[in-house]
Amino acid sequence: MSVSTSGKLAELVSRKRVIICVGSGGVGKTTTSAIIALQEAKRGKKVIVLTIDPAKRLANALGLASFTGKAQKVELEMEGELWAMMLDMKACFDEVVVRYAPPESRDEILSNRIYEYFSTSLAGTQEYAASERLYQLYESGEYDLIVLDTPPTTHALDFLEAPNRLGDAVNSRALQWLYKPTVFAGKKGLGVFSMGTTYVVRILSKLTGAQLLEEFSTFLSAFSTLFDGLQERGKAVRDLLSRDESTFIVVSTPDPLTLKEAAFFYEKLGKDQNTVGAFVINRVHDFGIDDEDLRRPIVNISTKLDTQFENPRSVAQKLVDIASKYSTLKKQDFRAMKDLKNNVSGDVPIVYMPYFDRDIHNAEGLERARLELFDKEKRI
Amino acid sequence: MGKTTVASAFALSCAKRGMKTLLMQVNAKDRIGAIFNQDPIGEEMVELGPNLYCVNSTPASAMREYALMTLKIKIIYRAVFENKIVQSFLNAIPGISELVLLGKAYYHAAVEKRGKKRRWDIVVLDAPATGHGIFLLKIPSVVTSIIESGHMFEEAERMKAMLEDPEFTSVNIVTLLEDLPINESKMLSETLQEELNIAVDYIFANKVLSNPFTEEEENTLHRLEDSDTLLDSLFQSARFHGARVASQKKYADILKEKIDCFTIEIPYFFDGADRAEQIEKISKIISTQLNQTGEVE
Repeated sequence: MSVSTSGKLAELVSRKRVIICVGSGGVGKTTTSAIIALQEAKRGKKVIVLTIDPAKRLANALGLASFTGKAQKVELEMEGELWAMMLDMKACFDEVVVRYAPPESRDEILSNRIYEYFSTSLAGTQEYAASERLYQLYESGEYDLIVLDTPPTTHALDFLEAPNRLGDAVNSRALQWLYKPTVFAGKKGLGVFSMGTTYVVRILSKLTGAQLLEEFSTFLSAFSTLFDGLQERGKAVRDLLSRDESTFIVVSTPDPLTLKEAAFFYEKLGKDQNTVGAFVINRVHDFGIDDEDLRRPIVNISTKLDTQFENPRSVAQKLVDIASKYSTLKKQDFRAMKDLKNNVSGDVPIVYMPYFDRDIHNAEGLERARLELFDKEKRI
Repeated sequence: MGKTTVASAFALSCAKRGMKTLLMQVNAKDRIGAIFNQDPIGEEMVELGPNLYCVNSTPASAMREYALMTLKIKIIYRAVFENKIVQSFLNAIPGISELVLLGKAYYHAAVEKRGKKRRWDIVVLDAPATGHGIFLLKIPSVVTSIIESGHMFEEAERMKAMLEDPEFTSVNIVTLLEDLPINESKMLSETLQEELNIAVDYIFANKVLSNPFTEEEENTLHRLEDSDTLLDSLFQSARFHGARVASQKKYADILKEKIDCFTIEIPYFFDGADRAEQIEKISKIISTQLNQTGEVE
C-alpha cells in the first residue's frame, strides 16, 4: 500500500520517534493524535497512541470497546501495527511512588489521606504522570513511534515543567520549614521567622486548625523522599523532548481565542528551538459563496430552482442566507489563521482540516480524515 | 462551551427579574468585563447594571479577605501573611485556593448582609471547567474527611451544608450538542448528584442551530445534482448546515435520555456581533424558557 509522505506534515511525522500533541480542551487533540498514529502505522511502523481522554467513540472507530490502561492492538488492515493505551493516572502515580520512595516511606505515602485525594489533582500531577508513562514506553524500545495526547492545560508549560514544579513544591524553603523545622533554627534575616516559628505556626493554625497543618506536614515529609527520583526522571524527560527525534504538534480550532492560546503554546515551547513542528487547525469552515454572488438578484437563483421546488423564491432566499452565514465564518476562520501565520516562523507548517459534517464513528471516517490531513494537505 | 457567556446571561436574567445578583468569576482571566463593554473586572466589586454586580476573585485576594475576617487584626495579617515564605507555603497546600474561593462565594451567599436583610438574592458562580469545577465543589468534603476540628474544618462543614441544600445551591451545566461534551456533562451530573449530593437544576445547550428549510425542501436539496458552480456552493452550505442540525438533534435526544433535567437551548449566533447585545438576547431567551416551565418563583 502506498501512503503519501509528500506533504510537510507527513514528512515531519515520518522522521520522529516521539510526537506530542498539545492544545486547549475540545479542539480534537485525541482524534488528531489517533490520525497521526494511523498514518505512520499504515506506512509500516509499530506505533502506540497514548491518550488521557476516554474518547469512547474514537475507541469504537478503531474497533476497540474502550481505551484501557493496558496497550491494546488495533485490528485494522495495515502494513505496520497500531496500538492504543489510556493513561491511568492513579496507577501511574502509584508506580512512581513504588519506584522512587525508599521502602520505609512507601506505605506511609500510599496510605496517606492527603496523597489519596491529591495524587491525581495536585498541580502538575496529571502532566507528570503523562510524561512518566511516555518515558517508560520510550525506554522499553518496543515502539517505532509514540504519539502522546496531552491533558488540556491552560498553562502552556505545565507539561514540560510538571516534573520540576512538583519538585519545587516539595523542595521550597517554606515547606522545608514546615516539615523540617530545624532547617531555619538559628538563621537570621528571614523576617517573620526570626519572631519564632512557633508564633507563625500559632497564627496559621488559628486559620487552618492545627490538625490540617500537621497532616500536611506528615504528607510532605514522606513525599519529599521521592524527590531525588522525580528530579532525575524529570531531567531525562526534558532531555528526550528537546532531542531531534521528538516534536510538538499544536492542535487548535480556528476560534480566535483558541488560536491565541495556540500561539501562546508556540511561544512558550520555545519558538527558536524548533520544538513545535507543526500546527493542525481542526474544524475550519472552508466553503460559502463569493461576495459578488451574494449581491446578485435572488431571481437569478430562483429561476434555476423552478422545476424542483414549490416555492423557489423562498428556497433561493434561504439558500443565500445560509451560504452568506458560512461565508462569514469562512472569512473569520481564515483571518484568524492568517494572524497566527504572521506570528509563526515560516518553516513551521500550519495545516488545516475542513469542518466535517458528521462525527468520525468508524474506520472509514478515520481513514477519510487521515487522507484529508496528509494526502490532501491544506496549508495556510 | 460558552460557560462564561451563559453564566453572564443567566445572571442578567436574574437581575431583570428583580433579584439582587452577584456574578462571580474565580481565578480566571476576566472576560465578563469585555462582554458588558466595561473595563476588566478585578477583585473590586463593580456594578454592571441595575441589580447586577460582578467580582473576579483570585485565591490571593480571597485568602486576604478570609484571613482578615478571621484574625480581625490587620497588623498580624501583614506580619504573617505578607511574608513571602508564608505565602509560598500557603500556595503549596493542595486545595487551599479552591477552599478560600468557595468560602468567598459562601460568605456572599449566606453571610453578607445589608441592614437586616441578606445583601444578595442570588450568587451566580462561573465555575471552572468540568474537572477543576468538580474539584472546587468537592473540596469541603475532602477537608472534612481529612481533619476533624479547627476553624477551617468548621468553615468546610458549613460550606458542605450549603452545597448539599437544594433550596440553597444548584448547579447549571453548560454543554454543546456534540458527542464529547454531552458525555462529559453526563459524567458531571452523576458525580454531582450521586457522589457530592449537589442538585443539578438546568442544562444549557449552547450554540444550537435551526434549520430554515422544510423537510420536503431538505429532501429535495439532498437529491439535486449541482448544475453550476453558484448552485453548487449554495447547496454545499445548505447540506452542511442540514447535517449539523440533524447531528445536534440526535445529540439533543441522547442528552434527554442521559440526564433527567430541563434543557434550555441557546441559539448559535453566526455574526460575532456586539457581545452585550448577544447577552441581552440570551438572557431574554432564558427568562422566556424558564417562564414556560413555570419554574420561576
